[in-house]
Amino acid sequence: MSIRIAGMGWVTPLGADLETVWQRIANGDVAEAKPMSNPETGRVHHCIQVPPKLVEHLARNPRLRRSSAISYFAVAAALRAMSNAGIEIGSRAAERTAVIFGVSDGGVIYTRKFYDQIVKQGANAASPLLFPETVYNAPASHLAAQLGIDGSSYTLVGDASVGLSAVQLGEQLLALGEADHCVVVACEELDWILCEAYRDWRFTRTPLAEGAAALVLSRSGRFSIETAGAAPFMSQREAGAAVDQVLERLASRVGSVDFMVSCDNGTFIDRAVAAGVNRWFPGLPEPASHPKRALGEMLAAGGLVNLIFAALRLEKAGGSRALVPVVGFNHQADAALVEMVR
Amino acid sequence: MTPISRSHSHRVAVTAMGVVSPLGSGAAETTAALRAGRDCVSPVERFDVSRTRSKTAGQLPASFHAESDDRKAARLHPASQVMIAAAQEAQKADGGFQPEFAIIGTTSGGMSFGEQFFRAQVTKEKPARRAGWLANYMPQKAVLDAQAACGFSAPAQIIANACASGTNALGHAFALVRAGMFRRILCGGYDIISELVFVGFDSLQASTPEKIRPFDKSRTGLVLGEGAALFFLEEWESAVSRSAPIVAEITGYGISTDNHHLTQPHPSGIGPKQAMERALASANLQPSEVDYINAHGTATAFNDATEGTAIAQIFGAKTPVSSTKSMMGHSLGAAGSIEAAFSILALQGQFLPPNINYQESDPAWQLDVIANEAREARVQRVLSNSFGFGGTNASIVIEKPKEATA
Repeated sequence: MSIRIAGMGWVTPLGADLETVWQRIANGDVAEAKPMSNPETGRVHHCIQVPPKLVEHLARNPRLRRSSAISYFAVAAALRAMSNAGIEIGSRAAERTAVIFGVSDGGVIYTRKFYDQIVKQGANAASPLLFPETVYNAPASHLAAQLGIDGSSYTLVGDASVGLSAVQLGEQLLALGEADHCVVVACEELDWILCEAYRDWRFTRTPLAEGAAALVLSRSGRFSIETAGAAPFMSQREAGAAVDQVLERLASRVGSVDFMVSCDNGTFIDRAVAAGVNRWFPGLPEPASHPKRALGEMLAAGGLVNLIFAALRLEKAGGSRALVPVVGFNHQADAALVEMVR
Repeated sequence: MTPISRSHSHRVAVTAMGVVSPLGSGAAETTAALRAGRDCVSPVERFDVSRTRSKTAGQLPASFHAESDDRKAARLHPASQVMIAAAQEAQKADGGFQPEFAIIGTTSGGMSFGEQFFRAQVTKEKPARRAGWLANYMPQKAVLDAQAACGFSAPAQIIANACASGTNALGHAFALVRAGMFRRILCGGYDIISELVFVGFDSLQASTPEKIRPFDKSRTGLVLGEGAALFFLEEWESAVSRSAPIVAEITGYGISTDNHHLTQPHPSGIGPKQAMERALASANLQPSEVDYINAHGTATAFNDATEGTAIAQIFGAKTPVSSTKSMMGHSLGAAGSIEAAFSILALQGQFLPPNINYQESDPAWQLDVIANEAREARVQRVLSNSFGFGGTNASIVIEKPKEATA
């Protein structure tokens, strides 16, 4: 099934305005990776953060005043997407919107701080203000409160493929008639413990980054999006077969695409995607611009960032159909086709 | 996705289930414990509780946490081990089931491995298992492991809607099969107690140093629990055509969001009320047609006040209610699925599980609480509730299958 993108928004290290960020990526700008050190071991990581000024206005919101950065990113990106879709907050259309939030690692800043208190000061010193914000669905709850919805709100967790899983859930809720619109947000925030973990577990030459991307899915809109349906894999060795499976599904539906927005990040994923694309979409030109090279590895948010980038490139630079593979580190491979509705 | 037909409303069969909880592993042990009203809450010894108010939890047998000589098994988080056990129990009952899709709920994945990783930073150690902790910490890992153990390879949605996750997983799977969007879905939920989550509830003073007493006038809070339950959901005709066993039918699902506060429900009970009303409407049932309510019943002042009020408003005092958390604590993302399994066991055994530790009714509402002892009863339909942080509320309706399988 193909659904429509009615609105888009993002909060990235290169800004939050759709046009500006697209242009900066297209121009080859690269967000600066800055050092973030592990205070326990002194080890330094380089990662890419969102400028605080992009979300600091949300600190005045009573519901968000104790929240972590991840909730700020999620709410900011979603409100931008709702505005882009022309849906007013407080309207009946907003109430008939389902919230779907996708994340890989969640509120790592408050989680690490809370556990730090337990380990270093004892359980009786752990702050009750921190714990609720460590829960995976806290950002979705804050977003639902902003939109005034009383219906469906779902938080999905998974590797970087979770953004497309969230799009598929949106597609399902629209098909079930549970909502008229779905605001799908994928998000990540950075902390030194996250940098430490990914360095130990899945070292990538692409610096880790934070931010959010949001789509408003609907039955009408400027772009159509069609997902392949995910293929799971248990190990790096199996990733190639999973990528192959999802690309075959899309190739059998459309035959060809005009360009691909790559999810390359300097890991085994690059080889798996290259092999699958060569097999199912041969002759596809090397991507001219590459959001991950500009913005970093945004994990859950990365897939939706690439979808938005594909849609904007279709609108601004031409073409009729884009391929967006999204492959995570240890769960699923997926891919989507984005087309302009003419 | 594999669309079949969206033009019809399909019946949804549960062809098999697996459940692992402090009440036991598998249907037989669990049924016996439910009938006996067994108190499975015990002192926590897995981590230091000397500085917490609450010191007990409903815990799985130590075998799920024991070190293994098998290198591969030793790397797995207990979450994977309980998910594998639940999946294999279900597969033993219905070996012909192959899921097209999986929907699993959890709140904290393999959190204790994340805790160990953090502690390794503080102690500046680099133990050999560090990368293994990270790989097995992710919530998706237990789902992948359970599928691999059964030879399944279905794409998965992993729902983390706090304490409603397990019911959301089952409910959304039901909705997809009923709409004809999938024929067979593996669904359920899991969670394992971790120090961070245990201390979290303690810090909020949501957990109790006493016995957990849901719906009691002098209730003082929850205790945590853990476990997993998995279900094989299948479009009814498909299950009948392959002569699969049918242990229950799911007929309704309701979801609502209460925006009052991140951790507290609106005092009016509007969130739970909407979820229950929507589930009844989805099942095309009147409240009087429900024979038993397996309540969320955490025994916190706020939850039971709002849920008790909502149940009384919709059902009056005639429908029997119990919180099975009284016997095993609150297993968070697993709770909805484990309680759905308990509900199916009640339908199969024609009894109502008890609400133990119950002393005195709360005058704030009139409910028929199944106090302390199980009741024999004619049970055709059960409504099961789950409500969570973030204001997520979910209810499902489960029925005894009306027809024998082929």
